[in-house]
Amino acid sequence: MASVHESLYFNPMLTNGVVHANVFGVRDWVTPHKMALLVLLSELGRAGAQLGLLERRRLNRLLLPLLQGPDMALSRLRKAIEECCPHLAGSVHIRLKLMAEGELKDMEQFFDDLSDSFSGTEPEVHKTSVVGLFLRHMILAYNKLSFSQVYKLYTALQQYFQKDEKKNGADESEMELTNPEELDGKMEKEELDGPLREEEIACSGPLSQKQAEYFLSQQASLLKNDETKALAPASLQKELNNLLKFNPDFAEAHYLSYLNSLRVQDVFSSTHSLLHYFDRLILTGAESKSNGDEGYGRSLRYAALNLAALHCRFGHYQQAELALQEAIRIAQESNDHVCLQHCLSWLYILEQKIFDSCVLLEHSVNKSLHFGLPYLASLGIQSLVQQRAFAGKAANKLMDALKDSDLLHWKHSLSELIDISIAQKTAIWRLYGRSTMALQQAQTLLSMNSLEAVNVGVQQNNTESFAVVLCHLAELHAEQGYFAAASEILKHLKERFPPNSQHAQLWMLFDQKIQFERAMNDGRYHVADSLVAGITALNSIEGVYRKAIVLKAQNQMSEAHKLLQKLLVHCQKIKNTEMVISVLLSIAELYWRSSCHTIALPVLLQALALAREYSLQYLASETVLNLAFSQLILGIPEQALNILHMAIEPVLAHGAVLDKGCAMFLVAKCQVASAASYTPQKKIEALESAILNLNEAKTYFAKVDCKEQLRDVLYFQARLFHTLGKTQERNKCAMLFRQLHQELPAHGVPLINAFK
Amino acid sequence: AVIGRAGAMAAAMVVAAGGGGDFSDLREIKKQLLSVAERSRERGLQHSGKWAAELAFALEPLPLSELPPPPVLTEEDARDLDAYTLAKSYFDLKEYDRAAYFLRGCKSQKAYFLYMYSRYLSGEKKKDDETVDSLGPLEKGQVKNEALRELRVELSKKHKAQELDGFGLYLYGVVLRKLDLVKEAIDVFVEAAHVLPLHWGAWLELCNLITDKEMLKFLSLPDTWMKEFFLAHIYTELQLIEEALQKYQSLIDAGFSKSTYIISQIAVAYHNIRDIDKALSIFNELRKQDPYRIENMDTFSNLLYVRSMKPELSYLAHNLCEIDKYRVETCCVIGNYYSLRSQHEKAALYFQRALKLNPRYLGAWTLMGHEYMEMKNTSAAIQAYRHAIEVNKRDYRAWYGLGQTYEILKMPFYCLYYYRRAHQLRPNDSRMLVALGECYEKLNQLVEAKKCYWRAYAVGDVEKMALVKLAKLHEQLNESEQAAQCYIKYIQDIYSCGEVVEHLEVSTAFRYLAQYYFKCKLWDEASACAQKCCAFNDTREEGKALLRQILQLRNQGETSSTDVAAPFFLPASLSANNTPTRRVSPLNLSSVTP
Repeated sequence: MASVHESLYFNPMLTNGVVHANVFGVRDWVTPHKMALLVLLSELGRAGAQLGLLERRRLNRLLLPLLQGPDMALSRLRKAIEECCPHLAGSVHIRLKLMAEGELKDMEQFFDDLSDSFSGTEPEVHKTSVVGLFLRHMILAYNKLSFSQVYKLYTALQQYFQKDEKKNGADESEMELTNPEELDGKMEKEELDGPLREEEIACSGPLSQKQAEYFLSQQASLLKNDETKALAPASLQKELNNLLKFNPDFAEAHYLSYLNSLRVQDVFSSTHSLLHYFDRLILTGAESKSNGDEGYGRSLRYAALNLAALHCRFGHYQQAELALQEAIRIAQESNDHVCLQHCLSWLYILEQKIFDSCVLLEHSVNKSLHFGLPYLASLGIQSLVQQRAFAGKAANKLMDALKDSDLLHWKHSLSELIDISIAQKTAIWRLYGRSTMALQQAQTLLSMNSLEAVNVGVQQNNTESFAVVLCHLAELHAEQGYFAAASEILKHLKERFPPNSQHAQLWMLFDQKIQFERAMNDGRYHVADSLVAGITALNSIEGVYRKAIVLKAQNQMSEAHKLLQKLLVHCQKIKNTEMVISVLLSIAELYWRSSCHTIALPVLLQALALAREYSLQYLASETVLNLAFSQLILGIPEQALNILHMAIEPVLAHGAVLDKGCAMFLVAKCQVASAASYTPQKKIEALESAILNLNEAKTYFAKVDCKEQLRDVLYFQARLFHTLGKTQERNKCAMLFRQLHQELPAHGVPLINAFK
Repeated sequence: AVIGRAGAMAAAMVVAAGGGGDFSDLREIKKQLLSVAERSRERGLQHSGKWAAELAFALEPLPLSELPPPPVLTEEDARDLDAYTLAKSYFDLKEYDRAAYFLRGCKSQKAYFLYMYSRYLSGEKKKDDETVDSLGPLEKGQVKNEALRELRVELSKKHKAQELDGFGLYLYGVVLRKLDLVKEAIDVFVEAAHVLPLHWGAWLELCNLITDKEMLKFLSLPDTWMKEFFLAHIYTELQLIEEALQKYQSLIDAGFSKSTYIISQIAVAYHNIRDIDKALSIFNELRKQDPYRIENMDTFSNLLYVRSMKPELSYLAHNLCEIDKYRVETCCVIGNYYSLRSQHEKAALYFQRALKLNPRYLGAWTLMGHEYMEMKNTSAAIQAYRHAIEVNKRDYRAWYGLGQTYEILKMPFYCLYYYRRAHQLRPNDSRMLVALGECYEKLNQLVEAKKCYWRAYAVGDVEKMALVKLAKLHEQLNESEQAAQCYIKYIQDIYSCGEVVEHLEVSTAFRYLAQYYFKCKLWDEASACAQKCCAFNDTREEGKALLRQILQLRNQGETSSTDVAAPFFLPASLSANNTPTRRVSPLNLSSVTP
């Protein structure tokens, strides 16, 4: 034999040579536990009308998990029954005892009698009911047993029963004083049995195929919907390994193990499991389909597609692209449009990582609709909306598109997509700077009853959309100065998305951003600086931006400027408009801090134009504030007041508390500056209204604990009071100022020159 | 290590001779071998007995005076003698339960071992019987040797009390291994090797449990001549062929030249490094010495298959079939025979039969996979390969086969994973590297492909194709300098091998070189190559045309120096100015290698 055969001959006569590893093809078999269940069922039938309604109901609820679940020890089963109906538990125990301590013929008799429940004009059990199916399965499995197996089953039953008896006995004997020597011997034996016994507890015998299927589907749905409730990765893997040891052909287990490895970000074993799964699936596909080729050709395509998804998930985009190309090629060769559609969506996702392209996406949406794949279609619409939003397309059209896709979702009950849609709306409203709308959408999602809840009873709550919405909620609260509420939300996020889970990075980023903002407000720049590293790890652009802000605050202007320029070029290249505007604002601020207001003006105008174009309203009003400030310094306060009127409304309606404070402060400054040319009477009025505005600004600043700004406001207010001749008030403000001033280090920027 | 054993044991124990590799006293060694063979046989350990006897047979016969004395019987032995004799005869007839029944309560070491051993074997037999049971869904997979746990409890008690002799420790180790307690099992086997170094079974079990070189380093093994055999064996298992061959050579030098065991092991080692000619000649030698041997003949047939030696393979198959047709090896040889005759369905049938005879016989799964591949039954092939991997994760051929299957299904990216696995297991096998290179080429990842081909050449290319492929890649990338270098090296390789085998690509190489030199205006070299081209059918016309062109150009230009240097492609003038040395650099493929 060559270890590798070179030439390949095609022999059409031979297509079927599959070795059947699972020759038995039996999905279920009789075990002592199942026999105990059978006894329970027959007792249930016998008890009939004697049972109370409540007890019967409890028992019925108990039955299904028992029938589907894994085998358990007799003591546990008995306890479960006792909780529902103590009387029945006793009689089940007695019947089992009679059978186990009797003879083989008792068991044989028992199985003979089982089928009686179907006979008669009004049978106790309907043939096609859940219980009926179970009974028939068991009878069939029992009849298939060979001579030696029947005996083995009987001995297994005896052991099963005796183990329980022994355990009861041991519990009782513990009370008594035992012979020390005997105890010694016992200990030794137990010590030896130690490691083995542990294993036994972990898996109470091999699962039958049915039980295994139930186990797998349960765990898989938990992984999808509520990861925290599923088994821990390590123990799940142990269960799966165990399952595979007994039944290596069980392909689905490999897939679950793939999912499980994804949870812990293990590239190696997830790839291994995924490929193993498809290797196995190819076989079953070939077997089950009559036209075998189609069967496994299909799984080949999806195998390549899944591999692409895996690589994409781990960020190996180049690899993912190669795998995807392969999937596309195979799908094309076999004219599988559905698969091609899936490929197209993935292609879009991949392309998005590399460069933007709407064409693919639009095409994908159209085709998906054509082939009747609503899920893919609306997923495409959502991506499209997201992209368009970044590209500054008209908001009303986007919202319309989302509404239309929402219609689709509700029609097809795609609850997952509904969640995503709402989360997306939250994000878009935030992008546009409408925090109230965002808040409302976020609350909608959180308080909505998921469609799944009606069906399964498992709330879908560890999807990405929930993470997104909760993160936004936390940030919104933090912006309004409700830090306790924000940290409460973050704590909840931490519980719901443990640090190693897929979406954990989201809240990590938001958490650090919020901390950063707080640190900046308090003037603890070193703390903020230490947070920058963490932010950079999660989002490099954000990190660089924050670094620049810290540098700016520390008066390292030239470094900050260099960094910002670099960032600006980069963001313009990747078309991250939001960040471009923020960077422009920061640059402008750097200029006016260096008293170059004339240079700042064109930058600000550029930012304003961009913000207007992309309808980023909040950033626009912030730019206007900056502009007004520049105008104020340049000596045209009236003009500044004019444009301030434009910005003040949105800021007060949607802005963060800090921004509101800044805006009010600025208004007061402008009022004072423009009052200079007024008549004395008017001047006093203007100054008084300025004082009121300053009071408002003070309350805002106090909310977010911005001591520096508070100090400035107090100083300003004291000066105003002084001008108005209100000595008492002036002194009060001066005292407060003095207190704050002692607390804070002086910084180089002249007070009146600072905005923000 | 273990002191204070029962007195009876010390008397029976033969102290193993001198330190590691001390083969000065062959007579003493022979004595030890004979006595241990006898003692193994008494305990029903047939294979260890056979091994010792085979090795003893390879040494000079002893004179009567030096024959080892019959083992001294102790009081206990005498007391158990009747029960032992009865039980041994039952044991030999495979009536294990019966043997165990009559041995219960025996105290002597020998009887006790046989008692435990027959209980173990009885459990194993029942387990096997049950697995075969055609209607076995009941506790499928739960089929296990029921006796194991009891045996473990009893043996561990004895072990704690230090009442086990070397054989007892061996059995304890086996029980532990069967219970998947690998670490404990290794410890016990090492102890067994210390107490009774002569018992080959313990060493062999150790071989199966040690998976890499590191583990081997940390074992504290007894310093006896048996250790040399063990090391040679395990080096073969761990694919450290060079070291293994050295060890075996030194064993032969020490006086074991006639041992069929060593000869067969050497042959297997040569097979593993694909030195086919040597392996074949050694196997032929082995067949002469031991014509009725069936062991290792499957490996032999593999070699014959590779060389397509139909008559020899046919002879071997018929011969083995006459000796014993229900042996795994025989089925495997017949399978190979049919495969060589392109009767793949029959071949698959015989491999299936081999698996029925021994489900743990790994090679058959892989071979069956190959057969299905030949039959274009990819799904069955995948299944067979997967089974092979399940039995042994380190079976590189199965990984390679899976890769090939997917390559045939035109999934070059998908099969990368499998080839990589195969490559990891055999880092210096050029075939995996060439396969990887081809896949990368198909994926248009030419940098990676180049790396693979170069590396394949550097580790010693078996099929001599890597260089041509590399050259073609360079050609594609317009790196004519490197391409020419590769072709030159390729031609040098072919000529230095002295193989007259018609290589398809030689003409391509000459054609390219002729064009290349023509472009570089090196007329002499160009015309030499063009002349070579004329020797091949497919390039004759081109060669002639080129020659004419060269002549024309030469006449136009000045006449260059007429002394024609020796053709550069002959090994005599390895003039290639900047020949890259055969340096094996770490293969650093940019892609993620999970």
